[in-house]
Amino acid sequence: MSTLVTIDLDGRAVEAEAGRPLGALLHRELNAVLRHTAKDGAPRGVFCGMGVCFDCLVRVDGREGVRACVTPIRAGMRVETVRS
Amino acid sequence: MRRIDTDLLVVGGGPAGLEAARAAAEAGIAVDLVDAGFRPGGQYWMQDPTGAPPLSAQGSKGAAAIAKAQATGVAFHSGAEVFAAFPDRRVLANAADGPIEFTPRAIIVATGAHDRAMPFPGWTLPGVMTPGAGQRLAKLGGTSAGERVVLAGSGPFLMAVAETLVKLGKPPVALIEARPTDSAIIAHLARHPGRWREAARLLAGARAIPERRSGWIVTEAIGSERVTAVRIAPVDRSGRIDRARSETIGGIDALLVGWGFRPMIELTALLRCRHEHDPALGGWHCVTDRASGRTSVEGVYAAGEVTGIAGAVPARLSGRLAGLSAAADLGADTAGDEGERASLAEQLARARAFSDGLGRLYAPPADLVTLARDDTVVCRCEEITRADIAAAFADGTDAVAGAKIWTRAGMGRCQGRICGAAVAAIAAAETGITPREAGFNPPRIPLRPVPLSVVLETTRDGQE
Repeated sequence: MSTLVTIDLDGRAVEAEAGRPLGALLHRELNAVLRHTAKDGAPRGVFCGMGVCFDCLVRVDGREGVRACVTPIRAGMRVETVRS
Repeated sequence: MRRIDTDLLVVGGGPAGLEAARAAAEAGIAVDLVDAGFRPGGQYWMQDPTGAPPLSAQGSKGAAAIAKAQATGVAFHSGAEVFAAFPDRRVLANAADGPIEFTPRAIIVATGAHDRAMPFPGWTLPGVMTPGAGQRLAKLGGTSAGERVVLAGSGPFLMAVAETLVKLGKPPVALIEARPTDSAIIAHLARHPGRWREAARLLAGARAIPERRSGWIVTEAIGSERVTAVRIAPVDRSGRIDRARSETIGGIDALLVGWGFRPMIELTALLRCRHEHDPALGGWHCVTDRASGRTSVEGVYAAGEVTGIAGAVPARLSGRLAGLSAAADLGADTAGDEGERASLAEQLARARAFSDGLGRLYAPPADLVTLARDDTVVCRCEEITRADIAAAFADGTDAVAGAKIWTRAGMGRCQGRICGAAVAAIAAAETGITPREAGFNPPRIPLRPVPLSVVLETTRDGQE
């Protein structure tokens, strides 16, 4: 039932299970730091894990402000960490 | 844009929403259920997103409830977030394959709850999360929040998270509970024998944790790019923190800390239903007639945690009640249901008495609001500090909504869902008003950010 796929994370190929939340993978792969804030440059990671707090924002396939915690992993998705 | 004309729209696929949808569908009503989760089940009946079979009795119960609802003909729309609702009951949701417009004759709101987080120094550090986030990382992502996790705060949910982490092979290194499991909690449990088994199971999970402190609180998270240590201090029964006896727990890489739950009231608030504030029910919640689930707005019903935090048992009961009464109000033949409804209402009152009591016993300590220092960020989205917010109250505003206009606290992407309760607590501390008087931020459309293309699609279609 579980399918391993490859995604592109900041130019690096990462293997992951399709359908699971991207936020959990990024928490593991990025040592919990998903972005730095626009104003203070402070590090942020997954906080609420349910799409409420907007702390785990990344760029996915060119789209800004995507909440990693509520985004399912798909084959070939391009994920970029950004300052926002 | 897809348009779905239906009798009843249920928002939320947890225990309350699933029971409501099934009850109404069984009565012959056309029901659509929209849910933001990867798969239906909600938080309590969380299902594996890859479709793997449930590993716990709780997950299996959820799978059975979903199957039953599907068998009655409920149309499911998973992975779809409601982002707008209007007085004519039009509801807009955004799904992976584009927006959906629902035009139902009635709505049942069963949106559940989210963790109650309160600010303290270091709470924005990566690795610091809500207990619910730790639970979801584990259950949905198969990932532990860390190798060395500290679990802290208050409420029985901490035990459920401990159980999950033990199963994952990563038992927390420490459990820091503000409230000791004392004679008052034992006496409360003793009055509800139906809950003994659950309580025993949850307490057993905590036994694998090497360090347990009851009557202690995390006062600070320390680290530069990720949490590496926490400061803890004793907190007494009146909620006072004794910082002179502080200690440090080092060598950690995650802290899960939370203070129970808050009802997810954005949709009921947008629909202008009446809300009330009660700390034991998680603060602001949607007021309903408990026997029918009716809100103050005709055609809008609410069930489960959004009507006041109470847990899964009251959620199921109130969901079924709301489903049956919505079906009756929509003209379904529900003759003969009166007996069942009376019995459900009685069971609900009993189940609520249990959880209301627990809610009062596990109330967050009084000094919680003193943890944030002047330079502590309170509004995580806009990076607004406690000093900024306190200054707004000193300058004359007396409401959460006023602090938002003066400081931008609560104006960011989360619309104040995370900081709202903290801003109200700061208002109370600075001005002497009650959190109830401080009010809450009215929700704005879109409830969740949606791409401009989606907004254009929904407005263009509306003008045709």
